Amino acid sequence: MADSTEKEMKILILATLSGGYEGANSVGQSHFEYAANTYVLPVVSPAMFPEDFYLRAFERGIDAIVVMYSGSDCPYRGAAERTAEIINRVFPKMKERGINPRRLRLVAICTVCAKPFLEEVAHANELLSEIGPVRDEIAAAQAQAA
Amino acid sequence: MTEKPENLIPQEPESAAQDEEEIRIGVYTCGCGGNISDVVDIEKTAEALSHMPNVVVSRTDAAMCSDGGQSLIEEDIKNLGINRVVIGSCKPALHRQTFRGAISRGGLNPYFYYHVGIREQDSWVHHDQPDEATKKAIRLMTTGVVKARMLEPLEPIRLPAEKHVLVIGGGLAGLRSALDMARHGLKVTLIEKTPFLGGRVAQLETLFPTEESARDLIRKLVDKVTNHPNVTVYTYAELVGMSGYVGDYHVKVLQHSRGVSDDMADAAIAGCTKEVPDEFNYGLTKRKVVYRAYPGCYPESPAVDWEHYEDGCVKVNGEPLHLEDQPKVWEFTVGGIVMATGFRPYEPYEGEYGYGVLPEVITLPQLIRLIGLTPEGQPLKWQGREVKNLAMVHCVGSRQIAGINKPQPDGQVNDYCSRVCCTAILHTAAELNKRFPGIRVFDLYQDIRTYGRGHEDYYTEASENNVLFMRYHNDELPEVEPAPAGEKRPLVVKVKDYLTWGEELEVPVDLVVLAVGIMPNPIEDLIHMLKISPGTDRFLLEVHPKLRPVETAVPGIVLAGTAQGPMNTQETNAAAAAAAVKMSALLGAGSVELEPFVAYVNPDKCEGLGECIKVCAYEDALTLRTVEVDGKQVQRAVVTPANCAGCGACVSACPNRAIDLRGWTLAQYEAMVDAIALGDMPALGG
Amino acid sequence: MATDKINVDVLVVGGGIAGMQSALDLADQGYQVMLVEKSPTIGGTMITLSKVFPTLDCASCITTPKMSAVAHHDNIQMFTYTEVQSVERQGNRYIAQVVKKPRYVNENICTGCRKCEYACPVEVPSVFDQDLGAYRAIHVPFSTAVPQVAVLDMDNCMLCGKCEKACPVEGCIDYEQKPQEIEVTAKAIVLATGFKITPVDAKAEYGGGKYPNVISALAMERLLAPTGPYGHVLRPSDGKEPESIAYVQCAGSRDKSLGVPYCSRICCMYAIKQAMLLSGALPLADITIYYMDIRTFGKGYEQFYQNAKAMGIEFVKAKVAKITEDENQNLRVRVEMMEEGGQVEEREHDLVVLSVGVLPAYNPEAVFGVPVSSEDNFIEIPSPNFEPCNTGFPGIFAAGTATGPMDIVDSIVMAGAAASEATAYLHELAAAENGGVTHD
Repeated sequence: MADSTEKEMKILILATLSGGYEGANSVGQSHFEYAANTYVLPVVSPAMFPEDFYLRAFERGIDAIVVMYSGSDCPYRGAAERTAEIINRVFPKMKERGINPRRLRLVAICTVCAKPFLEEVAHANELLSEIGPVRDEIAAAQAQAA
Repeated sequence: MTEKPENLIPQEPESAAQDEEEIRIGVYTCGCGGNISDVVDIEKTAEALSHMPNVVVSRTDAAMCSDGGQSLIEEDIKNLGINRVVIGSCKPALHRQTFRGAISRGGLNPYFYYHVGIREQDSWVHHDQPDEATKKAIRLMTTGVVKARMLEPLEPIRLPAEKHVLVIGGGLAGLRSALDMARHGLKVTLIEKTPFLGGRVAQLETLFPTEESARDLIRKLVDKVTNHPNVTVYTYAELVGMSGYVGDYHVKVLQHSRGVSDDMADAAIAGCTKEVPDEFNYGLTKRKVVYRAYPGCYPESPAVDWEHYEDGCVKVNGEPLHLEDQPKVWEFTVGGIVMATGFRPYEPYEGEYGYGVLPEVITLPQLIRLIGLTPEGQPLKWQGREVKNLAMVHCVGSRQIAGINKPQPDGQVNDYCSRVCCTAILHTAAELNKRFPGIRVFDLYQDIRTYGRGHEDYYTEASENNVLFMRYHNDELPEVEPAPAGEKRPLVVKVKDYLTWGEELEVPVDLVVLAVGIMPNPIEDLIHMLKISPGTDRFLLEVHPKLRPVETAVPGIVLAGTAQGPMNTQETNAAAAAAAVKMSALLGAGSVELEPFVAYVNPDKCEGLGECIKVCAYEDALTLRTVEVDGKQVQRAVVTPANCAGCGACVSACPNRAIDLRGWTLAQYEAMVDAIALGDMPALGG
Repeated sequence: MATDKINVDVLVVGGGIAGMQSALDLADQGYQVMLVEKSPTIGGTMITLSKVFPTLDCASCITTPKMSAVAHHDNIQMFTYTEVQSVERQGNRYIAQVVKKPRYVNENICTGCRKCEYACPVEVPSVFDQDLGAYRAIHVPFSTAVPQVAVLDMDNCMLCGKCEKACPVEGCIDYEQKPQEIEVTAKAIVLATGFKITPVDAKAEYGGGKYPNVISALAMERLLAPTGPYGHVLRPSDGKEPESIAYVQCAGSRDKSLGVPYCSRICCMYAIKQAMLLSGALPLADITIYYMDIRTFGKGYEQFYQNAKAMGIEFVKAKVAKITEDENQNLRVRVEMMEEGGQVEEREHDLVVLSVGVLPAYNPEAVFGVPVSSEDNFIEIPSPNFEPCNTGFPGIFAAGTATGPMDIVDSIVMAGAAASEATAYLHELAAAENGGVTHD
């Protein structure tokens, strides 16, 4: 039976259809290799996700979330700003639950941002090898609370 | 891999799927002619998926998008009662319409379909880890299955579309697409940033391979465009604002005044005292601040160059004439936009092959103007000296290599081929041979790319006539130096010529001509305003070079001509016409179909708090209305689909989860996150 | 025999990528289109390719959806195995006599189950696989053919009757089927008649057609395709995995001795693409491309070339003078090294691919009256810089490689342009005929 530290740590990437998702596709078009523990979900705009969406994902065992939005290229009025506001409100709530806020990152990725995409994936994996799985943090926080 | 496929499925909570209608999911994993199946074990993927609840059939095909692949889906809908379709193949945008068509033909609502990209985001990026790629494909496709369980039938939103197109750019591409669309029955407004139509083609003399006059061709086209009843042309005008969506773009155009009325135009030109470098002649000559681009230009009325205009620089009868720019603003609605913003020649950096330092180093566009300015029968002269021989250097600002060529101010090199320069050089060499017999050309090249119909003839003729070829390697670029004092010719070109055993040659010349590459015009403001994307080469990016070669990712915005990449005259014409027909197909019926992915309110959960309305940035997309519930007058949020952009900002704002996005609901995302997070897949192969 | 009559807006001749794109662009605007294709399936040359440059998408991933869209479009009537016999202009209409050749299979009831194919005892070389593989005398042309309907090659049929017995649909196989004549009335015509490659034996000194291990690039496409004849890249003489593969560029282009003075435009890119695919399929193989000039001029093409160089593919600027075969059927390639002062070397390779050129597939002059250029035999375009698809004949436009060599991207754009010019023509014709009342 594998020990929990050997389990694959998972990176969820929420990527906008007008930005990060196409950026991820452009990485594919160039056939660049990157870590396979990355799961990209296409989103119209991450502005739709309330704070508890992120907290819930961590509690379910997602070890890192990279929100790849379109930043200043966002085709929707105010959506980029709103995304940033929401994410900013998530950080303190992560801390409250003992989750390292570095597990959540908001970055602007354009449709041809192959290099920045790869850097983000590498960065997230470096972080995870440094801080380990999220469940350990949550378990520690729960133990402390108890 | 030893693991049983069913063990690769994440354990799901028991609660999943207990609806009235039985959910019957068909899962289709595509091999993509090896693009996926060379890395991902698609049979294993399909088998793993077949063990998920609700999955009735899980199949593979070498090409799901083929007619055979599509009919698998159709047949399964008809024969197995499949009512949700999950496809794992290339990126969803490529074949979404294809699969929707197949599903519709099977008799199912096409929105009962979810598409997972396992090529660009899996097999193409995990070649070296096929086991991991297979696990990832399975897990990504489980997200598709859990989402599919929660899909609803939807209908596209059909909105009236303005049969009117804005063309940005009055060069060849803009003129051609405007003319074609007008002839197709669409209304067209063409705007040109400079005061005159014609663009870069008007600055050429003759065109290959027909040897016709470039300005005659432009004039013919301009006449047809400006005389067409469907076309309005605004010169000296630029787009300054845009909102709306396909079929209904509200645009704002600012048009500078030409400054002088026609009746005093010639007097104003005569009385203008200020001169600036003439961009029409690439700075070889000067022009006045009140000017016409060239004889025979359109419009004939001169214009004031407001950037360089100074009060008092125009005098009529000795009296200073005070001119004022009184820009006009035009606001109108169009259904679509054609980007025909064109190119500019690469500007060599100071000292690149002596450019900007040695006066005898010029660019090919400048040489073409110099030939054009030289009266028939007179010798070619530069700086007062007759040019008896010259060197032409290919690939200046093209085919650059990072680490060898000096990057441009933005840090990039032009790693692409500019396509037209080789034939342009040899065409110019032929012109030189004809106009100035005896003139010798040394042609310094890497590869001669005379690919087009009739182009190879220029190459053959060049070597038979006046051109001597020398081949350099891109890591040993030629050098241009001033000749030692007392030499007959002012410059020496040093080149390691690989056509002669890599001999180091020193060639004394009168003139060095740099065949500068093609770069897109700087249009960052438009890119930002229209939310379109450039590629890594800075040219505007099409959706796909073969599937949708003239469309941008923004519906209703299409590309024409060299804004998209280097092209010659003929290719620009074809590309602009292709853009026109795409626009005519889009707007010709007078309506467009939009995706139904807009917000909707669950009236049972809505308490009329209005939080959603506070965050909504779209006018009239969300309103509070009074409705009667159980005999009471209450407030409820109501969505007007045509005004909703579908960004979903309202979804996160509602504390009751009463508003959601059709096709992309929060609950679907939560289920997809669970599918990724839950259940750990044991290590494979060990 | 009764002649069927069909009345459409546009007759598109040729069901390759250009013809399909023109047909779709016209049909999407509401025009009624009849598309005729002389082969038993649409898809043209593109559907036979492995992957396509510079994206390396699989060719069928791009072609089959367009084939499917043509087959299912409400405004397109698709006729395969059909040829245009004659065309006559009457007023503002073209009257074309077309003949649907007998497939000896009832197209309307054939399910494409291929049981006939499995039962047929006669093997014939597969045209689809460039003769490298074989199919039966009765066969569905290939797995993604549109329509998915069998065709019987009567020239090779023994009339043994096995297919008829194996066919589960009664009356589907019909040895007595006759050609069907159709009279088409159309307002406009788009010629998208495509190209063929230089015959592999055109240049005798290269040994194509004589030495089994000298193959055309189109044959290599089939070897590289996942649906290819061997399922793997093997050399034809002995089924051995090649270790050293050479590409001979301009084998049939830029060569006045063959009457092909022009550049075929696509060969540099397809050779580089194949070299890249080969280095994936055969990681240990050495790949050499002998070239005169590398012409990677399209969008993203130069970058593709530089990637290939970085992958270790050897590019040698050289003219190939002669190829001979040794006792092991390896090939001795005599090359004139153009960068070493014309020094001659002899190099050994175990497989040689000829980067054959592009020739017009069809001369439309006899049937359509549209002349070809005396320089290159492609359709003459009087004003290429003004109307690049206009043949100069009212209402007759040309698209794709019928007007000269071009790659897929350029063919598709050109096909859109032909549709645009045809649309303008139809619109103005409607206005003239209806006294100002236009199409919409």
